[in-house]
Amino acid sequence: MEPDSDAPAHPGGGDMIESKEETRGAWVVVAVKGRADAEAADQLEATLRAAVGQHSKVAADFSALDYISSAGLRAVLQAARTAQMTAVEFAVCGMSASVKKVFDMSGMHHVLTIHGELPC
Amino acid sequence: MVLNGNLSELSRLTAEVARFCGEHRLGDEVEYDLSLVMEELFVNSVTHGGCKGIEGAAEFELSLVAGGISLEYADRGKPFDPTQAPIPDITAPLAERPDGGLGIHLMRQIMCDIEYHRVDGWNRTRMRRPIPAEGT
Repeated sequence: MEPDSDAPAHPGGGDMIESKEETRGAWVVVAVKGRADAEAADQLEATLRAAVGQHSKVAADFSALDYISSAGLRAVLQAARTAQMTAVEFAVCGMSASVKKVFDMSGMHHVLTIHGELPC
Repeated sequence: MVLNGNLSELSRLTAEVARFCGEHRLGDEVEYDLSLVMEELFVNSVTHGGCKGIEGAAEFELSLVAGGISLEYADRGKPFDPTQAPIPDITAPLAERPDGGLGIHLMRQIMCDIEYHRVDGWNRTRMRRPIPAEGT
């Protein structure tokens, strides 16, 4: 599924990550699947920022995210900054233990709202 | 394994880490950690070290050693000693949080015994992903 963004397609062919947007109550849930590495980071940032730009409560569902590196973390931080500047609620949810370990090592809990489960 | 200075090499790098970890039955956590550290080192070389577009810009080798996995990484970029890189403030508020340095911070969290040498125009870094002995 194509993300709702203007991110350039991966030059090698298909998208590196897949995303899907769904409205659940007051929240818009952006489910992200795949590997958020340095090649996919721009696509992830565009996807999350597009959602944050259009909705007042955005939950990034990372339960199907297999991997994230510092480049992927920066994409999430950029989306969180956009959300903070525009008073949008932004939460990251459902991370696997391995992805959460990278968030924890990076101190992301200091600056992000993180939920084990979706808030809706 | 030799890598060209292009981020599209990440998929080959990841596949080689997976092959090594599968061959030695190291498990998903070790594979994730090694993939992450390798990506951080390589992306740093390409995006900040001047390796972009250079053929044979970097190389790495994984091997089993006492107490874990040894990773030797070398690149032909400008001198960069990861043991001396400044530590980012990961407790800073969102607006003030620096974007740089996070990859090297993660590497230092995961790896130990990090050694750096500059040799004949190459950055050479050696480190170990510790694996506790069984039963400890």
